[in-house]
Amino acid sequence: MAEMVLEVSDLTVRREGVSVVESVSFALAAESDTALVGPNGAGKSTLVQAILGILPHQSGQVRVLGRPLGPKGQLPASVRAQLAYLPQSFSVRNRCPLSVADFVGLGWDPPGLQLPWRGSERRRQAVRQALVKTGCSDLADRLISELSGGQTKRVLLAFCVVRPRRLLVLDEAQAGLDSQAAEQFYGLLFDLRRSEGWTILQVSHDLEMVRRTCDGVLCLNRSLRCSGPPDHALSPAQLERVYGRGYVPYHHHHR
Amino acid sequence: MNDGVALGELLALPFMQRALIGGLLTGALGGLLGSFAVLRQLSFFSDALGHSALLGITLGILLGLNPTLVLIPFAVLFALVVSRLVERSALPTDALLNIVYSSSLAIAVVALSFVRSYKGGIHQLLFGDILGISWLDLGLIVVLLITAVGYLGLTRRDQILLTLDEPLALSRGVAVPLHRLLFIVLLAVVVAISIKAVGVLLISAFVVIPACASRLVSVRFNGYVALAAGLGAICAVLGLLLSGSLNLPSGPCVVLMQLLGFLLALALAPRQRLA
Repeated sequence: MAEMVLEVSDLTVRREGVSVVESVSFALAAESDTALVGPNGAGKSTLVQAILGILPHQSGQVRVLGRPLGPKGQLPASVRAQLAYLPQSFSVRNRCPLSVADFVGLGWDPPGLQLPWRGSERRRQAVRQALVKTGCSDLADRLISELSGGQTKRVLLAFCVVRPRRLLVLDEAQAGLDSQAAEQFYGLLFDLRRSEGWTILQVSHDLEMVRRTCDGVLCLNRSLRCSGPPDHALSPAQLERVYGRGYVPYHHHHR
Repeated sequence: MNDGVALGELLALPFMQRALIGGLLTGALGGLLGSFAVLRQLSFFSDALGHSALLGITLGILLGLNPTLVLIPFAVLFALVVSRLVERSALPTDALLNIVYSSSLAIAVVALSFVRSYKGGIHQLLFGDILGISWLDLGLIVVLLITAVGYLGLTRRDQILLTLDEPLALSRGVAVPLHRLLFIVLLAVVVAISIKAVGVLLISAFVVIPACASRLVSVRFNGYVALAAGLGAICAVLGLLLSGSLNLPSGPCVVLMQLLGFLLALALAPRQRLA
């Protein structure tokens, strides 16, 4: 039986007294790539943020690498270090004078107290390798605030790959990218997933991309409406159950 | 003090020595905290803190206590209550802060006008007075500077992540609520301590202008923080010297020096960073 990297059982998340996610249960096997789809306001971002412990959950259970997530998002540091997250709106608040190499290094550091001048050779080497793996070596000295959308996403992947991870959670990684940049990003993600052995959970609106690249799909509209391989979960009948009657999927034109 | 005092004479005066040391340290403190506050969009928050400080001073006077010692707990409590209010309110943050600071300023000025001994002192409170810095203030500033450098230095990486993106920081296990709370408390104490030299109306400039000037010309985070602190310190010293030499209010003189520093940074900044 395949190892389960993430197990979610009967998870309910409320925000300001209203249930945004209700009784959601699923599990992700090691090295699988699963998409979380659903209409706007379906609770996709809330669900992934609750799984990562960014938002508290009210009932149910989340287990990451077999360890339970506390109701306020507590996880052992050794488990937390194996998670990585690509937020949806990162580019909005990045007007920080920080170079790409320095930013990627932050993905290597464990949180907590550290002497500010302490930067080991192992850290520098890890940053260099992460930049090479993601094709960002030429961006090392650039300010992150001066990168394009596509470059920012690649640098975020470098932030994830700088340390060995097991679970990668992406929240609408394709947001703000044109079709060519999205294609390049997903190509890189696909390669890294195979070489690094990542298990991926990604929120996406691009159903064509999901159909081509993911092993499994979770269809959410507050509760889980359907799940399974893309051919089954993205059939017209299932999509109507999630998005409502008269749903017409939008097709991105990827080359 | 007479008009047009020579620089040598001025530097020999004990109160001026205290003021310069105090200005150097509070300027550095303002720049240090400002470098984080500006990126976290807390500039207006520091302005509200400064304006409300007058209410804290008034409380101290009415209770017959040392205003500085009353002001520090008052500023911390005020900062915590206001930040909670901002988090919970549906009103736009700038509008809410405007209501808070103009109301507290109005209450403080009306209350002060009933205190006979302070009728002539409101101007100094509003615009700063270099004579006001005592040895007690200097001791507090040194302790505060050591605390701020130690805290921000040891948690530097967590602070940068938190400044960049809170959800990303939380996903990495950074104690975001705790750091946010500690930073607000630190900012409140710095504002409370710096009020005497800079005055209530201009204190936010201490936090905002050096950091903005540094942001325009910096390409590394460490350099940005160090330059903001350095600029804050240099501008405070030059402003206090100008104030002492020409018998002008100290707060506006310091802010004028900071403005000069900002204009210089604006001239030196690469064009794309001005957008």
